[in-house]
Amino acid sequence: MPIPPLTPATGPRPLRIPGVFAAVGLLLAGTACAVANTDDGGAADTVRIALPEEPPTLEPCDASLTATGRVTRSNITEALTERVPKTGALEPALATGWEQTSDKTWAFTMREGVTFHDGTAFDAEAAAFSIDRTVDSDIGCNVDGYVFGDSELTAEAVDDHTLEVTTAEPDPILPLRLSFIEIVPSSTDTQDKAREPVGTGPYKIKEWNQGVDLKLQRYDGYWGDKPAYATARYVWRAESSIRAAMVSQGEADIAVGLTPQDSAGDNAVEYPNNETSYMRIDAGEEPLDDIRVRRAINYAIDKKGLVSSVFSGLGQPAGQIVPKGVTGHNEEIQPWPHDPKKAETLIDEARADGVPVDTTITIIGRNGIYPKASEATEVVQRSLIDAGLKVKVKMLDVNAWMEYLLRPFPSDMGPTLLQAQHGNQAGDAAFTMEQIYGSSGAQSSYGTEKLDSMIEEAENAQDEPRQQAFAEALAYQNDEVVRDAVLAHMTGVMAISPDVSYTPNSATNDELRLRGMQPAD
Amino acid sequence: MLAFLWRRIVSSALPLLVVILGVFFLARLTGDPANLYLPLSATPEMRAEFAARNGFDQPVVVQFFDYLGQIARLDFGESLRTAQPAAQAVLQAFPATLQLAGTTMLIAIVAAVVIGSLAAYRPNSLADRAASLLSSTSASVPDFWFAIMLVLVFSVTLNWLPTSGTDGTAAWVLPILTLLIRPFGVLVQVVRGSMVSALSAPYTKVARSKGADEKRVIFGHALRNAAAPALTVAGDLTVSMINGAVVVETIFGWPGIGKLMIDSILERDFAVLQAAVLLTALTIFALNILIDVCYALLDARVRQGVTA
Repeated sequence: MPIPPLTPATGPRPLRIPGVFAAVGLLLAGTACAVANTDDGGAADTVRIALPEEPPTLEPCDASLTATGRVTRSNITEALTERVPKTGALEPALATGWEQTSDKTWAFTMREGVTFHDGTAFDAEAAAFSIDRTVDSDIGCNVDGYVFGDSELTAEAVDDHTLEVTTAEPDPILPLRLSFIEIVPSSTDTQDKAREPVGTGPYKIKEWNQGVDLKLQRYDGYWGDKPAYATARYVWRAESSIRAAMVSQGEADIAVGLTPQDSAGDNAVEYPNNETSYMRIDAGEEPLDDIRVRRAINYAIDKKGLVSSVFSGLGQPAGQIVPKGVTGHNEEIQPWPHDPKKAETLIDEARADGVPVDTTITIIGRNGIYPKASEATEVVQRSLIDAGLKVKVKMLDVNAWMEYLLRPFPSDMGPTLLQAQHGNQAGDAAFTMEQIYGSSGAQSSYGTEKLDSMIEEAENAQDEPRQQAFAEALAYQNDEVVRDAVLAHMTGVMAISPDVSYTPNSATNDELRLRGMQPAD
Repeated sequence: MLAFLWRRIVSSALPLLVVILGVFFLARLTGDPANLYLPLSATPEMRAEFAARNGFDQPVVVQFFDYLGQIARLDFGESLRTAQPAAQAVLQAFPATLQLAGTTMLIAIVAAVVIGSLAAYRPNSLADRAASLLSSTSASVPDFWFAIMLVLVFSVTLNWLPTSGTDGTAAWVLPILTLLIRPFGVLVQVVRGSMVSALSAPYTKVARSKGADEKRVIFGHALRNAAAPALTVAGDLTVSMINGAVVVETIFGWPGIGKLMIDSILERDFAVLQAAVLLTALTIFALNILIDVCYALLDARVRQGVTA
C-alpha cells in the first residue's frame, strides 16, 4: 500500500487538531450502543454449533434453502412425513399413516396429542392451512418452487384427525413431497413470511440476537423423545478455517461446511453429502453434437485420479448423477473407465468424418462450487487437450455462472462444458431428471424425445416400477445420450468435538437434527 | 456561520446524489436476483411473480424514481434475503463497525505519535530504522493473511484468545490488531516525517537557544506543529474505516456494516446495499462537515471561503 504524501508543513496549523479529535470523539460516542456480550460458555446442557452463515429467516416455507432448513427443519417445525436419508424410506412424523384413496386423492391420519410451542393443539386444520400457505399464498415460498413447481393441490380437513389432499394430476410421490411442508399453526401470518415461526418441533426459538447468535430452547411439551440438550446456540463464521478452529479450541461443539484444508484434525468427520459433481456437455453445439466426442470426453477424464488428488480422496468416482438412496439410482451404471487411447481414437474418427473437433470448447467453471473447483477444471482441460480437443477454461462467480446454468442460455456461448453439481435432497429422481435431462428442463441445454418420454413415464409410475423406469432412463442417458461427464459423488467434512456424539448423514447439509446430538459418554 | 454551513451542505448534496445513482444502477447490472432467490427448478411464472412482487418488472428508471420517492419518506425498502426493513439491518450493524474503527484509530494514533516521535528524534538511529521497518512492514502486510496468522498463533497455538466472535473483551484483541496494522504503519511514517522537519525548523532552534528543556521542545513545540498533517491523515483513515472493515468482519464474525455490505452485494440484496451505502456516505459527509465547521470556527480564512 502506498504511503500517502505528507501534507506540506506550511507553518503552524494547530487549528485542525480539535476538528479531528472531535471526529474521533464522535465515533466513540456512536459506540454507546454496545456489541452484545453473550456467552453460554461450554455449559454441558448447551450444544454450540458454528454455521457458515446466519439464517436469512427461519420461515418454514423457505426450509428448502440450506441456510434456513438446517436450523428450522425437524428442530423448530416438522412435516407430516419424514424421509430416512440412508434408505430413502418414508416414515410417519406428524401424520401417523396415509393412503391413496383415488388416483388424485390421498388421506393422511394426524398424530394425536401434539401441541405447537404456543400451546395450541395440532390438528388436520393446521396441516391444511400449512399446505395452503406454502403452495397457494402470495408470499413466494421457496418450497413451492422446489417441490411442487406448477402442480396444484388442495388440502382439506375432513375432521380433526383426517386430512385429504387432492392433486390436479395423479401424483404418486405426494407423501414424499409433503415431507417438505413444515407444519405451522393456523394463526401464522399469510401475508408475510414468519421470521420466527412457531412449530411442533423439539426446540422453540429462545432468542435471536441478530448478527451475533441464535438460541433454541427445548420444548417441554414435545410429543416425541426428549432431546439431550436443553439449549442449542448457533453462531456463524464465514471463514471455514475459523469454524474448524472453534471446535478444536472448545468454542463450538459442531462446525459444518469444512474443507479438507481446514485442519480440523481428529475432530473432522467425513460424510456423503448428497451432492454429485459433473460436467454438463452442451451437446447441441459442434463438435459436441457428435456422440463420439461426448464419449471421448468421458473416457478422457480420470475420475479416480481427480478424486484422489484434487478432492483429497473425499468422494467416490461416479457414473450417474443420482446417488444411492435416491429412488431411480441404477446399481448397474459404472463410472466410465479412464481410457485415454480410446478417447483419442474416437476424436480421430470424428475428425476423419469432418466433425470440427478443432473448435475451441470452453469450460465454464464456478469458483468455490466445491473445494478445489478451479483445479478440477484444469485437470479436465488437460485430459481433453491430451485427447486431441482444443479447450479453454473460464472461471466465474455464482451469478455469472448461473446465466449459463439456467435457461435462457446466452445466445453466443459456443460449445461449452459447464462445471456443475447436483444435490437431490428430496430423494426421488423426479427432482433431477426433467430439469437436468429434459429437452426443455431449466438446467438442460440438450435432450432427446426418447429420453423425455422415458422420464415422463417414470414420473407417473409408482413404487418398484417407478424405480425401474428411472433407472432405465438413467442407463439410456448414460449409453445413448451422454449429455454429461459425471465426476464424483462428493463427501462433506464437518468437525465434531469429542464431547458430543452425532452421526452425520446425507441429509445433514439440509437439516441438522439437534435430536441426534448427545453428550458423548 | 450558518451561510457557511449551508454552503457546505449544498456542495455535499451533489456527491451524495452521485453515490445514490451509482449504487442503484451498478447493483442492477450485476445480474438477476431471481436466480439466487428461487429454486433452480422454479417455473417462468414463479420468476415473473418474483419480479413483480419486488418491482423488478418495471423499467430501471421507473424503479429509480420509486426509490427516490421512498427515500424521501425515509422508507428504505425491505431486504430480499430476510424480508426485514433494510434500515433496521443497517442500523443494527453500524455501531459494531463504529466501535471497532473508533477504538482502533485511537490506539493507532497514540502508538504512532509515540513511536514516530522517538524515531524522528534521532534520524537514522537504530530506533529510527526499527520503526521504519516496523511501519513499512505493517503497512504492506495483507490483512487477511495477518488475521489468519493471529488466530493460528494466539488462539490455536497459545490458546490465549478466542478465535472469533464478540463474546467479552478478549474477543476484541485480534480484530483490533488486524485492523490496526495499516493505519499504524501509515501514521508512523507521517508522524516521523513531519517531526523530522519540525525538529529542524527555525522555531525549534529558537526554543532550544532560549534554553527550553528537550521535553518542552519536543512536546511543546515540535509535536504540536507536526501533529496537524498526522491528524489530517488519521481523519482520512478513520473515514475509510467507517466504510467497514470487510476482511476483519468476515474472518472474525464481527456483525458490522462491511460484512453486511459485502453479503448484500453477493446476494443481490439491493435494498440493504443501498441503505448501507447511503448511511455510510451520510456519515462520512457529516464527519467532513463537522471537521470543516471546527476549522471554520477557529480560522476566519476558511469561513470566508478564502483559499489558503
